[in-house]
Amino acid sequence: MQPATPLPGTQDLLFEAANRLRRCEATLCGRFEDKGYAEVIPPAIEAADVFGPEAFRALDRSGRLIALRADFTAQVARIAATRLAGMSPLRLYYRGSIVRRVAPDSGPVHERLQAGCELVGAAGPEADAEILALAASSLHALGIRGRISLGSTGYFSALATAAGASERLAASLNDAVDRKDLPTLRTLCEREVAPGKARDAILLLAQPPRLETEARELLARAEALAPSEEALQALRRISAALAAARSLGAELEVDLGEVRGLGYYTGIVFNLYAMGSPRPVGGGGRYDTLLGRFGDPRPAVGFSLDLDALVPLAC
Amino acid sequence: MLTIALPKGRLQKPALERFTRAGIVPDEEPGVSRKLIIAAGPAARFVVLKDGDVPLYVERGAADLGVCGIDQVLESAADLLTPVDFGFGRCRLCLAAPRGRSVTAELGRSLRVATKFPRLSSQWFLRRGVPVDLVHLSGSVELAAVSGLTDAIVDLVESGRTLEENGLVVVDEILQVTARLVVNRASYRLKVEELLPLLEKLG
Repeated sequence: MQPATPLPGTQDLLFEAANRLRRCEATLCGRFEDKGYAEVIPPAIEAADVFGPEAFRALDRSGRLIALRADFTAQVARIAATRLAGMSPLRLYYRGSIVRRVAPDSGPVHERLQAGCELVGAAGPEADAEILALAASSLHALGIRGRISLGSTGYFSALATAAGASERLAASLNDAVDRKDLPTLRTLCEREVAPGKARDAILLLAQPPRLETEARELLARAEALAPSEEALQALRRISAALAAARSLGAELEVDLGEVRGLGYYTGIVFNLYAMGSPRPVGGGGRYDTLLGRFGDPRPAVGFSLDLDALVPLAC
Repeated sequence: MLTIALPKGRLQKPALERFTRAGIVPDEEPGVSRKLIIAAGPAARFVVLKDGDVPLYVERGAADLGVCGIDQVLESAADLLTPVDFGFGRCRLCLAAPRGRSVTAELGRSLRVATKFPRLSSQWFLRRGVPVDLVHLSGSVELAAVSGLTDAIVDLVESGRTLEENGLVVVDEILQVTARLVVNRASYRLKVEELLPLLEKLG
């Protein structure tokens, strides 16, 4: 028999490491409950179609495709849309582990520890701000210095639509924006996007992140270039969330190039960065169409924290 | 403090020139010194490594930024920002084969291809629906096709002289390569005050 070690991408937590995780979880759960969020504990396996292609799937005995939990948000959306249908607003939190493929549809899986919150049935910028401020205060509660970078997938979609971009071109543009790859973005725009406001606005997406007054200037510049009502609304939404989050004491920076997120995000999207971690330590966004998949179309916004990254940094 | 991953080899000199012009000057000459970490004033330092290792160092945060060819960025599949195209280190990743040998004919078996770039090669053939038997080599890739180990090669072509002298011709171009500035995603946000002025000078 091979020596029995945990599979790559998984780990045993013993003694002090286990204690640290539980202490951090307790701190976070305390913060979530103070803000009126209640815990839900969804099952570790689900019907596979609740998750995307990143889930680790298997057939059960009846031939039904099932999956290990790959994403808490989708499960919380399922619960909110079924047993808690019509109850608004809902403030729910969770903690536990997810299992995902490292690359979609192939390769090894890894397990990650998460905790997070979902605010269901609230559509306004105050709801965005509540989630942003709670994410910021979660880092603070763990004694971690970090930054939150706010963008919008809704704004990117509006620009891609206004530019008449095909799905393939939109994916290429999204990738270039996500990599801050201005040279490639310029080449793509010059070759495939007609000159005009939409093109100028897309080029503005690779701008570096801006804090405070500079963020407002950036948003004003983008508003002047907004090629459609949809794009303008998405920008105003960022501004409103920014202002409301500030009044709740959360410092944010605006990065219109923050366009990456789970497939179901429809509006604001954000990532959390912390000194000492080379990757984002959490993130979230608005997903106004996900609950509709489970039969109860309602807006929602939420975030999750990557505890594997945060626990070693927490004091 | 910014840590900069500086590649060994042909990209080092032009990369150092760009950093020097941007005001980041190494305290010792990296080509001369045997040190692996070289300070550059109080606010920066260089780590010197193989260009193929640059993406990994930067992705994992051991360096905040670095210089390497776009071929290495894509081959490593590292999750990085690539905000500046330096324009130097220009070459092409090409499919090449011995003169007169067809790589499009029905061989009755998979096309055998030798390369140092297995990921980029398999992606390219996959998109074209061509089944390939990829042989991952670490050097002298041309020899594989010349000696009959494989039918063709995928390799970087700068002037084309090595190919020519060995009786190989370019069949297709896979990627235009130049040196890129690569930046860690978290560093970009957390050290934006240090990084932005530098990016503007390098850009």
